[in-house]
Amino acid sequence: MTSIDVQQLTKEYGTTRAVHDLTFGVRPGQVTGFLGPNGAGKSTTLRLVLGLDRPTSGTATVGGRPYAAYEEPLRQVGALLDAQAAHGSRTARNHLLALAVSNRISPARVDEVLEETGLAAVAGRRVKTYSLGMRQRLGIAAALLGDPAVVILDEPSNGLDPEGIIWIRELLRRLAREGRTVLVSSHLMNETATFADHLVVLGRGRLLADTPMREFIASHSEPRVRARTTDPARLRAVLARAGYELTAVDGDEGRWAVDGARAEEIGGLAAREGVPILELADEEASLEDAYLALTAASAEYSAVPAVPAVPAVSTAPAAPAAPANPEAGSAGSAGSAGSAGSAEAAGAAEAAPTVPQPPTTPTKNPATPETPAPRTSRTSRTSRTPRTPRQEA
Amino acid sequence: MSPTAVLHSEWIKIKSLRGTVGSLTAVFLTTVAITVLVFATVGRAESDNADAEPLFGAFYALNFGQLAAIAFGATAVSSEYVNGALRISLSAVPRRALFYRSKIAVVGAAALGVGLLTSFTAFLGGQAFLGEDGIGLGHTGAVGACVGAGIYLALMALLAAGLTALLRSGVAVLSVLVPFTLIVPFVIGDVAGGAAQFLPDRAGQQILHEDPNGVLGGWTGLGVMALWAAAAVAAGWWAVRRRDA
Repeated sequence: MTSIDVQQLTKEYGTTRAVHDLTFGVRPGQVTGFLGPNGAGKSTTLRLVLGLDRPTSGTATVGGRPYAAYEEPLRQVGALLDAQAAHGSRTARNHLLALAVSNRISPARVDEVLEETGLAAVAGRRVKTYSLGMRQRLGIAAALLGDPAVVILDEPSNGLDPEGIIWIRELLRRLAREGRTVLVSSHLMNETATFADHLVVLGRGRLLADTPMREFIASHSEPRVRARTTDPARLRAVLARAGYELTAVDGDEGRWAVDGARAEEIGGLAAREGVPILELADEEASLEDAYLALTAASAEYSAVPAVPAVPAVSTAPAAPAAPANPEAGSAGSAGSAGSAGSAEAAGAAEAAPTVPQPPTTPTKNPATPETPAPRTSRTSRTSRTPRTPRQEA
Repeated sequence: MSPTAVLHSEWIKIKSLRGTVGSLTAVFLTTVAITVLVFATVGRAESDNADAEPLFGAFYALNFGQLAAIAFGATAVSSEYVNGALRISLSAVPRRALFYRSKIAVVGAAALGVGLLTSFTAFLGGQAFLGEDGIGLGHTGAVGACVGAGIYLALMALLAAGLTALLRSGVAVLSVLVPFTLIVPFVIGDVAGGAAQFLPDRAGQQILHEDPNGVLGGWTGLGVMALWAAAAVAAGWWAVRRRDA
């Protein structure tokens, strides 16, 4: 088993403690998203894992050995740290060839990865003529060169066009399916939500979370159910008896929301009381919301929010909290890990016509200051500040 | 890791960069071209001069060729310090001693090969313009001077390579070494004895004299220059080994 193990890792630069007593493991066969605000220590941790920087204390190993102990490390671990690092005056092919030769990887493999990353046609061009997206592909090509069991990618989606983003997403899913250990750092939450199975979250150099993505979202957000009914008054009364409150979804006639509830509870209640329900769905918080709730306190660079922070309705494809088939999301189509889950979970037999609900766009459901934003549970609204860094990304 | 594989990789890196190939080519072209120009124009007149030192004079163009050698050593190493390229190199070859040794070996070998080709070509080519006044390889010390000049160019490249690894900047090294090698000979000239003759370029050029004056002989002078280069390479290793990439 080739996993990455970080044990009590600490790295100080002068008086700045970039990484503080970090312990986590990255397991094979799944994509682990490595999240954290700017300056949280993600890149430092990756450099420590690759033996490029020396830890102040603690250890980082790959497959139980320090990276530098590998005879031909590119055959074990492929890494993309910085797409700009390839020398601009070299051609892509020569860049890869120099890397391949040093680890006795066949030159034929260079052409294979160039083909795989879609760079074959431009392999003879100097890297400085490449766009950011092409450099990103070159960095990924370098990471795949040795057909490694462990793949570490730092912000791989940077600069990629929409096709490129879909490509990288599917690539990551495939690498995990092949049983490889895949660690991907990012600060694009919606993007990470589409490929990650597991999350390691840093804040100010410390470990904030090391959990499966679904658990992460579930534990950092409150459940909420969306309902459509022809008889809101009765539903309101039924819910009130059960201790729930029916709130109007702003700007959308006939749509209602229940905070703190799950679809199976509401469906059951409505069915027992004979309240007609046209539509019922769990509204999952997005990874972004959960992440922001967690990291609000630990962002190194915070900006004052310019807009009311939270859209009332989550938009990201979110993982199902109570999926009928837990494997469906991860093993299936890479793109929509879980957005179908809401309908599935809501499919309580009693619930009246349950229509799978496409993710609602925030423009249709703008948050109003009066509407309580349930997903801000962990923190107050004003402290939920690190919006700006995310949008810059 | 396989040392030959790493050497091969370093060689690919050097030959795939325009800057390194260009400066290496410039060592040869500059030296030979200036030699030809000088000897085709003023060569005969100078050779009549009673004070002329035909052997030392034959390597006049080395003053310019060495600048290209410095540029070669500096660019070969500084390419690793552009945008964190070193991180890619060290993730492929994490054993820093092996990485650095291979880099230095390839830089030294390439510079020595081109240096020897340059020195012999320039010597023979220049003398060809002098007709019967010209000297050949049979002249006292001529073969030693040609070999020495090739080594001199290689040591200059290594001096620059080591300093670049230490300072992590080709520009910094060029702005130190180029003025140093250009200005010092003119400022200090022949008058300075003492410490100046132990400076790398002065010491190294002793081999070009048929009859070296001063404390250092030809080969001992080259040895002193080699110590300078070794010190620079060692300082570069200290930096590569110790610093975070």
